[in-house]
Amino acid sequence: MFDRKLVIVSGKGGVGKSAVAASLALHAARRGKRVLCIGMTDAIGLATHFGVQTLTYEPRRVHAGIDAIAIDRVAALDEYLHIQLRVPKAAPLRQFTKFFEELVDTAPGIREIITMGKPLFETWRTTYDRVIVDAPPIGQLISYLRAPITVANVVPTGAVRDEAMRMRMTLADSAQAGLLIVTMPEELPVVETIEALNDMGDEALIDLLGIVINRVIYPLNADDDAVGGLEDGPLKDAAVLHQQLAEEQHRWLELLPDGPRLPHLFGLLTPGEIAAALSERWDEL
Amino acid sequence: MSPRSRTLIVTGAGGVGKTTVSAALGVHAARNGTRTLVLTIDPARRLADALGIAKLGNDPAPVKTQPGLWAAMLDVTASWEAILDRHTEPEIATRLRSNAFFRAIADRFPAAQAYAAGEQLADYLEAGAWELIIVDTPPAGGGIDFFAAPNRMSELVGGRVLRFLTGAGLPGRRALYRFTARPVLKVADAVLGGPLLEDLAEFLLDLRTLYDGLTMRAATIERYLSAARVIVATTAQPSAMREAARFYDELPGIVVKPAGVVFNRVLPAEWIGLKPGMPSNGFTPEQAAELRDNLRNWAAEAHRQADARAELASQYTTATATIPWRHHAPTTLDALADLITSSDGLAVLTGLD
Repeated sequence: MFDRKLVIVSGKGGVGKSAVAASLALHAARRGKRVLCIGMTDAIGLATHFGVQTLTYEPRRVHAGIDAIAIDRVAALDEYLHIQLRVPKAAPLRQFTKFFEELVDTAPGIREIITMGKPLFETWRTTYDRVIVDAPPIGQLISYLRAPITVANVVPTGAVRDEAMRMRMTLADSAQAGLLIVTMPEELPVVETIEALNDMGDEALIDLLGIVINRVIYPLNADDDAVGGLEDGPLKDAAVLHQQLAEEQHRWLELLPDGPRLPHLFGLLTPGEIAAALSERWDEL
Repeated sequence: MSPRSRTLIVTGAGGVGKTTVSAALGVHAARNGTRTLVLTIDPARRLADALGIAKLGNDPAPVKTQPGLWAAMLDVTASWEAILDRHTEPEIATRLRSNAFFRAIADRFPAAQAYAAGEQLADYLEAGAWELIIVDTPPAGGGIDFFAAPNRMSELVGGRVLRFLTGAGLPGRRALYRFTARPVLKVADAVLGGPLLEDLAEFLLDLRTLYDGLTMRAATIERYLSAARVIVATTAQPSAMREAARFYDELPGIVVKPAGVVFNRVLPAEWIGLKPGMPSNGFTPEQAAELRDNLRNWAAEAHRQADARAELASQYTTATATIPWRHHAPTTLDALADLITSSDGLAVLTGLD
């Protein structure tokens, strides 16, 4: 999974996809890669994992070997029109951009294609060796991955259509791009992950790199009888809670395909500490 | 007409347990003799089973095993069918239903889902059959969308794109066919292709017919939302905390300041700073060390949770309540009710005391 140029990290909200995306970037940078990390939906989630306040559309050096940006729709649209579609500078673009902004709320696929465009442009360019995307939640991501096809269906001809077809090819090319789904061993994230896998079925939108299972609680070595025999008090309460959580998680883990597992990090570390700790797990794997 | 029912809205980031909290509050209120309806969005299977609501839709159904409690589950498609029927002529409604743009908006535009939930709430309030209506907010847009949707929906239907395509004023259908004469749209035409813009404009003209009805309805929904009590559910996870803060930052400008925040999955505060003792008997030194490390781990987590609660409470001078961390999600009505009785301050926070 570490050799694709474009890695899209998704999952249900709250499972730690930004942390996993940041940890993959740290891992790649340690191996000498020039990395671009892209926050697709929000500027802050990813930023905090690199210990900065926020991100913009201008690449910001957040760590040795890592630049990070957040998608800004207006800037992304500008880049899309001028650089990708080569709309002439002389065109009344300011007004057109305004119109387009309104349009993205209405026409299917347009908003997604503009947001999805940036990671793909950077995959086509040679500035970076790795493009790691902190993507929207998995349910929404599918419509982003389908957007090039949606657009090709509503736009009969022209530059937008050609560009959409090129995007679709790159996303589906397993030599270049892959999807990493982050989940955790609880009911809703597991159910949603399985639904997403079924939903994508055999559409071949993108190659699935794997399912990362985050915040796994491993059972204690002391068995349940021993824990039950502890005298009442915090030592017992904490051990019982831990064992029961581990057991509950086990039920959901059994429903998931095998994949890299990342441990629950105790003490709700800061986002920066979490990303650093997780990146060490990638070094080990 | 002003509805007699109270409204309680539970909002917050995805994955913090707001659906469970909403259901638990519903059971609690019903057991205290309040006729209660819970509108849920997308419950986990086990929760739906606990309420016996596997096949629910927009029509409230009584929860068989809990007198005084009704439940409904948002069906966005059905809500939009009803919205079309209410606000436009049958012929246009039919045309819109089969329009690709309309389906894309109704299915995926986050404000459309959120707006549908608002319409349902208004219907239930006006039915006057319940003393309390609890709303579990849709996850789209981090929950803020639910509150901003009435306004955003009227703007969309009001046709900002349409005005751009055809110029100011209410356009006739003929104006559409002149639109490519405008220089801006020559660019759009080259990039997007003319047929797309024409289809889009046709669609927007149809949508425009909803404007008067929908705008009035949206204003009513906004009034109901402003009169509701809003509580924010969160865990101490940083991403959930950021969402919680957003509600305090943004909601007062849209409807109303949240009445308080409920922290879910809370560990015992007495673990904080505790020096783990030695287990009494029968443990190897390795096991004893593991058990003591385990308590230290969870105590560290408890410590960070307490810090997070204190920070949010002081930053926004708001009331807080806590629900203890349970090892698994409640699967029975009793377990749901127990969530509220074992909580610290939730009944007070929600006004259900």
